[in-house]
Amino acid sequence: MKLPESLFSRMLLAYLPFMVYPYGLFKAGVAALWIVAFFWGTVVFFWFTRRLFPGRSLKYAFPLWLIVWAQAVWTLTKLPPYWIASVFFLVPVSFLGDTAKPGHVRVFSRELPRSQYPSIGAERRLGPSKLPFWKRNKKFGRYFFEQVLTGIGFAGFVILLALVREIVGKRLGMQAFEQPAGMLFVAAAVAFLWENQPYRKRSQHLSISENLKLGPSKSPLMKRK
Amino acid sequence: MYFLIVTFGFLLAMRGANPALLQKPVEGLKCTWRGAVDFFLTASLTLALWAFAATFEKIQAGVREYTILGPGIVVFLLSRYQKKTDLFFLSVLASVFMINSKQPDLLQGILLAWVVSAGIALFQACFLGLRYKLFFSHVPVPMKGWPILCLLAGFISVVLGSFGTLVF
Repeated sequence: MKLPESLFSRMLLAYLPFMVYPYGLFKAGVAALWIVAFFWGTVVFFWFTRRLFPGRSLKYAFPLWLIVWAQAVWTLTKLPPYWIASVFFLVPVSFLGDTAKPGHVRVFSRELPRSQYPSIGAERRLGPSKLPFWKRNKKFGRYFFEQVLTGIGFAGFVILLALVREIVGKRLGMQAFEQPAGMLFVAAAVAFLWENQPYRKRSQHLSISENLKLGPSKSPLMKRK
Repeated sequence: MYFLIVTFGFLLAMRGANPALLQKPVEGLKCTWRGAVDFFLTASLTLALWAFAATFEKIQAGVREYTILGPGIVVFLLSRYQKKTDLFFLSVLASVFMINSKQPDLLQGILLAWVVSAGIALFQACFLGLRYKLFFSHVPVPMKGWPILCLLAGFISVVLGSFGTLVF
């Protein structure tokens, strides 16, 4: 089961398996483009063939689809199969699940219009849509717009980190940046910038220590009903 | 191998475990080490089955060619049988592939599987402990969320890196 993810979480989690590849800038870029193309292809494939899979077999079909493609790509290009984990994290949470909740996509503090399109599993549970064809097409477009955005974001993130690895690790000779530790520190810096975009609302929840400081009466966690 | 341990240790720590376990660190630690044993057994069993299949001359060529598809299906079935997450399946598959490509000998492969599963469990245990400590510390608001988690993972990987140079 996958947990709901924001756009940044999906990009970061998808980057982590990619970190195992010891590639330079060019090869990393090509591999990232392949992952994005495959991700889009997967979404389109399952979108159009979803009615062919009986019952809950979609949940089994997706991992098997990944294994078969990993084998095919390994045979043709000798690309190790870690990229399937990236695709797994890029795929939206509601893709094959039963939930009808759409993911919310934030880009530079602006929330994009939510796609009201239910997941493949939810659509099956709810029955076929009664909307006219042109309205269904509009929602279909919004759903794919989210996936296109995720793919572009992932490719950009990979290229940025590969560039840092190339410049700081190889040109400036800082060995730490050729290790996962250095890349994780850079990812922390990127995450910091992303999370602290101007005009972005942060969570109002307090930490446990802050709650303890405030005491039982003032703490929002300990409000009595 | 070190990259694999850090990557999948971080991923399993973030998305492999029940988030509620973070508030009960002792239970979380037990789950982490139980998960490591499952990881080791699944990887070892897959390696052993694959080595056994390679002993048959008629299918030897196929075994060598389908180094992802064959172990992938075995790992998939084993993780479904154990009711594990898809992330567990992907992590074991990645480990089995890397071990197979680095070490064709079965005993050495099983030893490497043990090292990888112990490394991942160690990473997860350190991460769980540090995250639990963060509950009671004053983390600045802008640093909360992914920035602090990536920093923690970075610090743990620095420590594991020094161990890694001794092991690999």
